[in-house]
Amino acid sequence: MSGPTLQDIDPDEALQGALASLCGTTRAGFLRTATLGGGAMLAALRTPAVARAEVSDLEILNFGLRFERLQAAFYTEAEELGTIATMSAAKQQWAQTLGAHERAHVRIFKKVLGSRAEGRPTFDFGSANATDAAFTRTAVAMEDLTVALLTGLAPIVHDRRLTAALMGLTTVEARHAAWARNIVGSAPAPEAFDRPRTLASVRGAVAQTRFVVKPPKTSSRRRPGFTG
Amino acid sequence: MTRAEHHEWTRAGMLRAAAAGGAAATSALVIGVRDGDGASQAAPSREQDNAILNLFLRLEYAQEGFYRQASNSKNLDGDLRTFARTVGPQEAEHAALLRHRLGSDAAPRSDQPDVGNWLTSPRLFRQAAIDLEEAVIAAYIGEAANLTRGALADVAPLVSVEARQVAWLRGLGRTTPAPRAADPARRPQAVLAQLRKLGFLA
Repeated sequence: MSGPTLQDIDPDEALQGALASLCGTTRAGFLRTATLGGGAMLAALRTPAVARAEVSDLEILNFGLRFERLQAAFYTEAEELGTIATMSAAKQQWAQTLGAHERAHVRIFKKVLGSRAEGRPTFDFGSANATDAAFTRTAVAMEDLTVALLTGLAPIVHDRRLTAALMGLTTVEARHAAWARNIVGSAPAPEAFDRPRTLASVRGAVAQTRFVVKPPKTSSRRRPGFTG
Repeated sequence: MTRAEHHEWTRAGMLRAAAAGGAAATSALVIGVRDGDGASQAAPSREQDNAILNLFLRLEYAQEGFYRQASNSKNLDGDLRTFARTVGPQEAEHAALLRHRLGSDAAPRSDQPDVGNWLTSPRLFRQAAIDLEEAVIAAYIGEAANLTRGALADVAPLVSVEARQVAWLRGLGRTTPAPRAADPARRPQAVLAQLRKLGFLA
Protein backbone atom coordinates (compact mmCIF):
# COMPACT_ATOMS: atom_id res chain seq x y z
CA MET A 1 0.00 0.00 0.00
CA SER A 2 1.43 3.36 -0.90
CA GLY A 3 1.72 5.83 1.94
CA PRO A 4 -1.06 8.40 2.19
CA THR A 5 0.24 11.91 2.17
CA LEU A 6 -1.02 15.34 2.94
CA GLN A 7 -1.62 15.73 -0.78
CA ASP A 8 -4.49 13.27 -0.45
CA ILE A 9 -6.53 15.94 1.25
CA ASP A 10 -4.75 18.95 -0.06
CA PRO A 11 -5.07 19.49 -3.80
CA ASP A 12 -2.51 21.95 -5.12
CA GLU A 13 -5.03 24.72 -5.54
CA ALA A 14 -5.71 25.02 -1.81
CA LEU A 15 -2.10 25.24 -0.75
CA GLN A 16 -1.11 27.42 -3.65
CA GLY A 17 -4.00 29.77 -3.02
CA ALA A 18 -3.19 30.12 0.65
CA LEU A 19 0.48 30.61 -0.01
CA ALA A 20 -0.18 33.12 -2.73
CA SER A 21 -2.19 35.22 -0.31
CA LEU A 22 0.50 34.97 2.34
CA CYS A 23 3.69 35.00 0.33
CA GLY A 24 2.81 36.49 -3.01
CA THR A 25 2.39 34.69 -6.29
CA THR A 26 6.09 34.53 -7.10
CA ARG A 27 6.89 32.44 -4.09
CA ALA A 28 3.77 30.33 -4.53
CA GLY A 29 4.83 29.68 -8.10
CA PHE A 30 8.25 28.68 -6.92
CA LEU A 31 6.72 26.13 -4.57
CA ARG A 32 4.94 24.45 -7.46
CA THR A 33 8.28 23.53 -8.93
CA ALA A 34 10.26 22.98 -5.73
CA THR A 35 11.31 19.43 -5.01
CA LEU A 36 8.86 17.94 -2.55
CA GLY A 37 10.53 17.75 0.84
CA GLY A 38 13.66 19.44 -0.38
CA GLY A 39 15.47 22.03 1.67
CA ALA A 40 14.30 24.84 -0.56
CA MET A 41 10.68 23.87 -0.09
CA LEU A 42 11.08 23.59 3.66
CA ALA A 43 12.55 27.05 3.79
CA ALA A 44 9.84 28.48 1.57
CA LEU A 45 7.04 26.94 3.61
CA ARG A 46 8.23 28.60 6.78
CA THR A 47 5.75 31.18 7.97
CA PRO A 48 6.65 34.58 6.56
CA ALA A 49 7.36 37.35 9.05
CA VAL A 50 4.37 39.39 7.93
CA ALA A 51 1.98 36.52 8.54
CA ARG A 52 3.48 35.86 11.98
CA ALA A 53 2.72 39.37 13.10
CA GLU A 54 -0.88 39.12 11.94
CA VAL A 55 -1.88 35.96 13.78
CA SER A 56 -2.84 36.41 17.42
CA ASP A 57 -2.55 33.76 20.11
CA LEU A 58 -6.32 33.82 20.43
CA GLU A 59 -6.68 33.01 16.74
CA ILE A 60 -4.09 30.25 17.00
CA LEU A 61 -5.71 28.68 20.02
CA ASN A 62 -9.18 28.83 18.54
CA PHE A 63 -7.99 27.26 15.32
CA GLY A 64 -6.24 24.60 17.41
CA LEU A 65 -9.51 23.97 19.22
CA ARG A 66 -11.42 23.76 15.95
CA PHE A 67 -8.93 21.32 14.50
CA GLU A 68 -8.86 19.14 17.63
CA ARG A 69 -12.66 19.12 17.62
CA LEU A 70 -12.60 17.96 14.02
CA GLN A 71 -10.32 15.09 14.92
CA ALA A 72 -12.17 14.18 18.11
CA ALA A 73 -15.51 14.15 16.28
CA PHE A 74 -14.03 12.00 13.52
CA TYR A 75 -12.84 9.32 15.95
CA THR A 76 -15.89 9.50 18.22
CA GLU A 77 -18.27 9.14 15.30
CA ALA A 78 -16.30 6.16 13.99
CA GLU A 79 -16.78 4.49 17.35
CA GLU A 80 -20.49 5.28 17.35
CA LEU A 81 -20.91 4.00 13.81
CA GLY A 82 -19.28 0.73 14.78
CA THR A 83 -16.46 1.17 12.29
CA ILE A 84 -13.77 0.72 14.90
CA ALA A 85 -15.43 -2.42 16.23
CA THR A 86 -14.86 -4.08 12.85
CA MET A 87 -11.09 -3.60 13.05
CA SER A 88 -8.39 -5.92 14.32
CA ALA A 89 -7.51 -5.66 18.01
CA ALA A 90 -4.33 -3.72 17.27
CA LYS A 91 -6.16 -1.22 15.09
CA GLN A 92 -8.91 -0.85 17.65
CA GLN A 93 -6.35 0.06 20.28
CA TRP A 94 -4.82 2.59 17.90
CA ALA A 95 -8.12 4.21 16.94
CA GLN A 96 -9.48 4.29 20.48
CA THR A 97 -6.27 5.74 21.92
CA LEU A 98 -6.12 8.47 19.31
CA GLY A 99 -9.78 9.30 19.88
CA ALA A 100 -9.23 9.57 23.64
CA HIS A 101 -6.20 11.81 23.13
CA GLU A 102 -7.97 14.11 20.71
CA ARG A 103 -10.89 14.49 23.11
CA ALA A 104 -8.37 15.33 25.85
CA HIS A 105 -6.79 17.93 23.58
CA VAL A 106 -10.20 19.52 23.03
CA ARG A 107 -10.68 19.76 26.80
CA ILE A 108 -7.26 21.35 27.16
CA PHE A 109 -7.88 24.00 24.52
CA LYS A 110 -11.34 24.76 25.93
CA LYS A 111 -10.00 25.19 29.44
CA VAL A 112 -7.16 27.39 28.29
CA LEU A 113 -9.47 29.55 26.20
CA GLY A 114 -12.26 29.72 28.77
CA SER A 115 -15.01 32.07 27.64
CA ARG A 116 -13.00 32.99 24.55
CA ALA A 117 -13.45 29.51 23.06
CA GLU A 118 -15.39 29.57 19.82
CA GLY A 119 -18.50 27.44 19.47
CA ARG A 120 -18.42 23.89 18.20
CA PRO A 121 -18.67 23.64 14.41
CA THR A 122 -20.93 21.13 12.68
CA PHE A 123 -19.14 18.24 11.02
CA ASP A 124 -20.18 15.89 8.26
CA PHE A 125 -17.60 13.25 7.48
CA GLY A 126 -19.68 11.57 4.80
CA SER A 127 -18.29 8.09 4.28
CA ALA A 128 -14.77 9.00 5.45
CA ASN A 129 -15.18 7.13 8.74
CA ALA A 130 -17.80 4.61 7.66
CA THR A 131 -15.44 1.82 6.66
CA ASP A 132 -12.13 0.53 8.00
CA ALA A 133 -10.27 1.48 4.81
CA ALA A 134 -11.75 4.96 4.49
CA PHE A 135 -11.30 5.68 8.18
CA THR A 136 -7.67 4.56 8.17
CA ARG A 137 -6.79 6.50 5.04
CA THR A 138 -8.33 9.68 6.39
CA ALA A 139 -6.87 9.27 9.88
CA VAL A 140 -3.34 8.85 8.55
CA ALA A 141 -3.60 11.98 6.43
CA MET A 142 -5.25 13.93 9.25
CA GLU A 143 -2.54 13.07 11.78
CA ASP A 144 0.23 14.10 9.38
CA LEU A 145 -1.64 17.34 8.75
CA THR A 146 -1.88 18.00 12.49
CA VAL A 147 1.87 17.64 12.86
CA ALA A 148 2.40 20.06 10.00
CA LEU A 149 0.00 22.52 11.60
CA LEU A 150 1.49 22.41 15.09
CA THR A 151 5.11 22.57 13.96
CA GLY A 152 4.11 25.69 12.06
CA LEU A 153 2.13 27.25 14.90
CA ALA A 154 4.34 26.58 17.93
CA PRO A 155 7.08 29.00 16.81
CA ILE A 156 4.66 31.87 16.14
CA VAL A 157 2.72 32.06 19.39
CA HIS A 158 3.51 35.17 21.39
CA ASP A 159 3.14 33.77 24.89
CA ARG A 160 6.09 31.55 25.66
CA ARG A 161 4.11 29.43 28.08
CA LEU A 162 1.87 28.49 25.21
CA THR A 163 4.94 27.57 23.18
CA ALA A 164 5.95 24.90 25.67
CA ALA A 165 2.39 23.65 25.90
CA LEU A 166 1.97 23.43 22.12
CA MET A 167 5.26 21.58 21.77
CA GLY A 168 3.99 19.00 24.27
CA LEU A 169 0.97 18.44 22.05
CA THR A 170 3.00 18.50 18.83
CA THR A 171 5.11 15.54 19.90
CA VAL A 172 2.00 13.54 20.80
CA GLU A 173 0.43 14.27 17.43
CA ALA A 174 3.69 13.17 15.81
CA ARG A 175 3.49 9.91 17.77
CA HIS A 176 -0.06 9.50 16.48
CA ALA A 177 1.11 10.10 12.92
CA ALA A 178 3.93 7.57 13.21
CA TRP A 179 1.60 5.00 14.77
CA ALA A 180 -0.94 5.56 12.02
CA ARG A 181 1.67 5.18 9.32
CA ASN A 182 2.96 2.00 10.91
CA ILE A 183 -0.58 0.60 10.92
CA VAL A 184 -0.80 0.96 7.15
CA GLY A 185 2.75 -0.23 6.49
CA SER A 186 4.22 3.18 5.66
CA ALA A 187 7.47 4.52 7.08
CA PRO A 188 6.66 6.03 10.50
CA ALA A 189 9.45 8.59 10.23
CA PRO A 190 10.00 9.02 6.50
CA GLU A 191 12.15 12.14 6.66
CA ALA A 192 14.52 13.87 9.05
CA PHE A 193 12.28 16.94 9.21
CA ASP A 194 8.55 17.41 9.19
CA ARG A 195 7.11 20.09 6.95
CA PRO A 196 5.55 22.96 8.88
CA ARG A 197 2.49 24.59 7.41
CA THR A 198 0.85 27.91 7.98
CA LEU A 199 -2.50 28.28 9.62
CA ALA A 200 -3.88 29.59 6.34
CA SER A 201 -2.72 26.59 4.35
CA VAL A 202 -4.17 24.13 6.87
CA ARG A 203 -7.41 26.08 6.80
CA GLY A 204 -7.42 25.59 3.05
CA ALA A 205 -6.76 21.88 3.39
CA VAL A 206 -9.57 21.47 5.92
CA ALA A 207 -11.93 23.41 3.67
CA GLN A 208 -11.13 21.03 0.81
CA THR A 209 -12.29 18.07 2.89
CA ARG A 210 -15.74 19.67 3.36
CA PHE A 211 -15.89 18.06 6.78
CA VAL A 212 -16.96 21.36 8.35
CA VAL A 213 -20.48 22.22 7.23
CA LYS A 214 -23.16 24.76 7.98
CA PRO A 215 -25.37 23.77 10.90
CA PRO A 216 -28.74 22.32 9.86
CA LYS A 217 -31.58 24.84 9.79
CA THR A 218 -34.30 24.10 12.29
CA SER A 219 -36.34 27.30 12.10
CA SER A 220 -38.36 26.65 8.96
CA ARG A 221 -42.11 27.17 9.35
CA ARG A 222 -42.92 25.20 6.25
CA ARG A 223 -44.21 21.69 6.58
CA PRO A 224 -41.87 19.12 5.10
CA GLY A 225 -42.96 18.02 1.66
CA PHE A 226 -42.27 14.40 2.41
CA THR A 227 -42.38 12.82 5.82
CA GLY A 228 -41.71 9.22 4.83
CA MET B 1 -5.93 43.50 23.75
CA THR B 2 -2.80 44.89 25.37
CA ARG B 3 0.27 42.74 25.78
CA ALA B 4 -0.30 42.65 29.54
CA GLU B 5 -3.93 41.60 29.10
CA HIS B 6 -2.92 39.00 26.58
CA HIS B 7 -0.34 37.58 28.96
CA GLU B 8 -2.87 37.55 31.77
CA TRP B 9 -5.58 35.66 29.97
CA THR B 10 -3.28 32.97 28.68
CA ARG B 11 -1.65 32.48 32.05
CA ALA B 12 -4.99 32.58 33.84
CA GLY B 13 -6.34 30.06 31.38
CA MET B 14 -3.45 27.71 31.97
CA LEU B 15 -3.88 27.94 35.72
CA ARG B 16 -7.61 27.31 35.36
CA ALA B 17 -6.82 24.30 33.25
CA ALA B 18 -4.44 23.05 35.92
CA ALA B 19 -6.96 23.56 38.69
CA ALA B 20 -9.96 22.16 36.89
CA GLY B 21 -8.24 19.49 34.86
CA GLY B 22 -7.33 16.57 37.04
CA ALA B 23 -6.79 14.62 33.86
CA ALA B 24 -3.26 13.46 33.27
CA ALA B 25 -3.17 15.23 29.96
CA THR B 26 -3.88 18.62 31.41
CA SER B 27 -1.38 18.08 34.21
CA ALA B 28 1.29 17.08 31.77
CA LEU B 29 0.57 20.09 29.63
CA VAL B 30 0.79 22.47 32.52
CA ILE B 31 4.08 21.00 33.67
CA GLY B 32 5.46 22.47 30.49
CA VAL B 33 4.40 25.96 31.47
CA ARG B 34 5.04 25.94 35.22
CA ASP B 35 7.66 28.38 36.35
CA GLY B 36 11.02 26.75 36.88
CA ASP B 37 10.23 23.56 34.99
CA GLY B 38 11.72 23.56 31.56
CA ALA B 39 10.76 27.01 30.40
CA SER B 40 12.85 29.58 32.22
CA GLN B 41 11.86 33.20 32.48
CA ALA B 42 14.90 34.65 30.71
CA ALA B 43 13.98 36.48 27.54
CA PRO B 44 15.09 34.69 24.39
CA SER B 45 18.29 36.05 22.89
CA ARG B 46 20.97 35.03 20.46
CA GLU B 47 23.27 34.08 23.33
CA GLN B 48 20.57 31.95 24.92
CA ASP B 49 19.80 30.36 21.54
CA ASN B 50 23.43 29.35 21.20
CA ALA B 51 23.55 27.76 24.64
CA ILE B 52 20.33 25.81 24.03
CA LEU B 53 21.19 24.78 20.48
CA ASN B 54 24.55 23.50 21.68
CA LEU B 55 22.72 21.42 24.27
CA PHE B 56 20.51 20.01 21.51
CA LEU B 57 23.56 19.39 19.35
CA ARG B 58 25.09 17.36 22.13
CA LEU B 59 21.92 15.27 22.38
CA GLU B 60 21.80 14.70 18.64
CA TYR B 61 25.44 13.60 18.62
CA ALA B 62 24.68 11.12 21.41
CA GLN B 63 21.80 9.67 19.42
CA GLU B 64 23.67 9.55 16.14
CA GLY B 65 26.65 7.84 17.74
CA PHE B 66 24.45 5.27 19.44
CA TYR B 67 22.55 4.37 16.28
CA ARG B 68 25.74 4.27 14.23
CA GLN B 69 27.15 1.67 16.60
CA ALA B 70 23.80 -0.15 16.61
CA SER B 71 23.70 -0.25 12.81
CA ASN B 72 26.81 -2.40 12.78
CA SER B 73 25.91 -4.60 15.73
CA LYS B 74 25.65 -8.32 15.06
CA ASN B 75 23.09 -8.58 17.85
CA LEU B 76 20.47 -6.57 16.02
CA ASP B 77 18.60 -7.55 12.91
CA GLY B 78 15.25 -7.19 11.22
CA ASP B 79 13.10 -4.26 12.29
CA LEU B 80 15.49 -2.99 14.94
CA ARG B 81 18.38 -2.83 12.51
CA THR B 82 16.15 -1.07 9.99
CA PHE B 83 15.18 1.38 12.71
CA ALA B 84 18.80 2.11 13.66
CA ARG B 85 19.86 2.50 10.04
CA THR B 86 16.96 4.84 9.29
CA VAL B 87 17.09 6.95 12.39
CA GLY B 88 20.86 7.29 12.66
CA PRO B 89 21.19 9.32 9.45
CA GLN B 90 18.18 11.42 10.50
CA GLU B 91 19.97 12.32 13.74
CA ALA B 92 23.01 13.23 11.66
CA GLU B 93 20.81 15.59 9.61
CA HIS B 94 19.48 17.13 12.80
CA ALA B 95 23.02 17.70 14.03
CA ALA B 96 23.97 19.22 10.68
CA LEU B 97 21.09 21.67 10.87
CA LEU B 98 22.03 22.69 14.40
CA ARG B 99 25.69 23.11 13.41
CA HIS B 100 24.63 25.23 10.46
CA ARG B 101 22.45 27.38 12.67
CA LEU B 102 25.22 27.80 15.25
CA GLY B 103 27.96 28.48 12.74
CA SER B 104 31.22 29.24 14.47
CA ASP B 105 29.47 29.05 17.86
CA ALA B 106 28.91 25.30 17.47
CA ALA B 107 30.67 23.36 20.22
CA PRO B 108 33.09 20.69 19.01
CA ARG B 109 31.94 17.09 19.15
CA SER B 110 33.33 15.24 22.13
CA ASP B 111 34.37 11.61 22.09
CA GLN B 112 31.47 9.19 21.97
CA PRO B 113 31.32 6.85 24.97
CA ASP B 114 31.25 3.13 24.26
CA VAL B 115 27.60 2.11 24.40
CA GLY B 116 28.22 -1.50 23.49
CA ASN B 117 26.60 -2.70 26.70
CA TRP B 118 23.24 -1.59 25.28
CA LEU B 119 23.84 -3.56 22.12
CA THR B 120 24.17 -7.01 23.61
CA SER B 121 20.53 -7.89 23.02
CA PRO B 122 17.54 -6.49 21.10
CA ARG B 123 15.65 -5.96 24.34
CA LEU B 124 18.42 -3.88 25.91
CA PHE B 125 18.87 -1.83 22.76
CA ARG B 126 15.18 -1.10 22.46
CA GLN B 127 14.80 -0.04 26.08
CA ALA B 128 17.93 2.13 26.01
CA ALA B 129 16.85 3.78 22.77
CA ILE B 130 13.39 4.51 24.16
CA ASP B 131 14.93 6.06 27.30
CA LEU B 132 17.27 8.12 25.15
CA GLU B 133 14.57 9.34 22.76
CA GLU B 134 12.09 10.16 25.53
CA ALA B 135 14.72 12.15 27.40
CA VAL B 136 15.69 14.09 24.30
CA ILE B 137 12.05 14.91 23.48
CA ALA B 138 11.44 16.17 27.03
CA ALA B 139 14.53 18.37 26.81
CA TYR B 140 13.39 19.86 23.50
CA ILE B 141 9.95 20.62 24.94
CA GLY B 142 11.47 22.08 28.09
CA GLU B 143 13.73 24.47 26.25
CA ALA B 144 11.52 25.32 23.27
CA ALA B 145 10.00 28.36 24.94
CA ASN B 146 13.45 29.76 25.69
CA LEU B 147 14.40 29.98 22.03
CA THR B 148 13.82 32.93 19.77
CA ARG B 149 11.10 32.40 17.19
CA GLY B 150 13.60 31.95 14.39
CA ALA B 151 15.51 29.26 16.23
CA LEU B 152 12.32 27.46 17.25
CA ALA B 153 11.07 27.53 13.66
CA ASP B 154 14.22 25.62 12.72
CA VAL B 155 13.98 23.18 15.60
CA ALA B 156 10.25 22.35 15.71
CA PRO B 157 10.25 20.22 12.51
CA LEU B 158 12.95 17.97 13.94
CA VAL B 159 11.37 17.65 17.40
CA SER B 160 8.27 16.11 15.84
CA VAL B 161 10.47 13.64 14.01
CA GLU B 162 12.08 12.63 17.30
CA ALA B 163 8.57 11.85 18.53
CA ARG B 164 7.84 9.84 15.37
CA GLN B 165 11.02 7.85 15.99
CA VAL B 166 10.17 6.91 19.55
CA ALA B 167 6.62 5.98 18.56
CA TRP B 168 8.02 3.67 15.91
CA LEU B 169 10.40 2.10 18.40
CA ARG B 170 7.73 1.67 21.06
CA GLY B 171 5.54 -0.06 18.51
CA LEU B 172 8.32 -2.52 17.71
CA GLY B 173 8.36 -3.46 21.39
CA ARG B 174 4.60 -3.81 21.46
CA THR B 175 4.22 -0.95 23.90
CA THR B 176 1.85 1.87 23.13
CA PRO B 177 3.50 4.43 20.84
CA ALA B 178 1.61 7.33 22.45
CA PRO B 179 1.31 6.65 26.19
CA ARG B 180 -0.09 10.07 27.14
CA ALA B 181 -2.14 12.87 25.65
CA ALA B 182 0.53 15.52 26.24
CA ASP B 183 4.27 15.03 26.56
CA PRO B 184 5.98 16.59 29.58
CA ALA B 185 8.91 18.98 29.65
CA ARG B 186 12.09 18.31 31.62
CA ARG B 187 14.93 20.47 32.82
CA PRO B 188 18.09 20.07 30.76
CA GLN B 189 20.13 19.31 33.87
CA ALA B 190 17.90 16.35 34.69
CA VAL B 191 18.13 15.04 31.14
CA LEU B 192 21.91 15.37 31.02
CA ALA B 193 22.24 13.59 34.36
CA GLN B 194 20.07 10.72 33.16
CA LEU B 195 22.00 10.33 29.92
CA ARG B 196 25.32 10.36 31.76
CA LYS B 197 24.01 7.67 34.06
CA LEU B 198 22.94 5.58 31.08
CA GLY B 199 26.37 6.05 29.52
CA PHE B 200 25.30 8.08 26.49
CA LEU B 201 27.28 11.13 27.59
CA ALA B 202 30.72 11.34 29.13
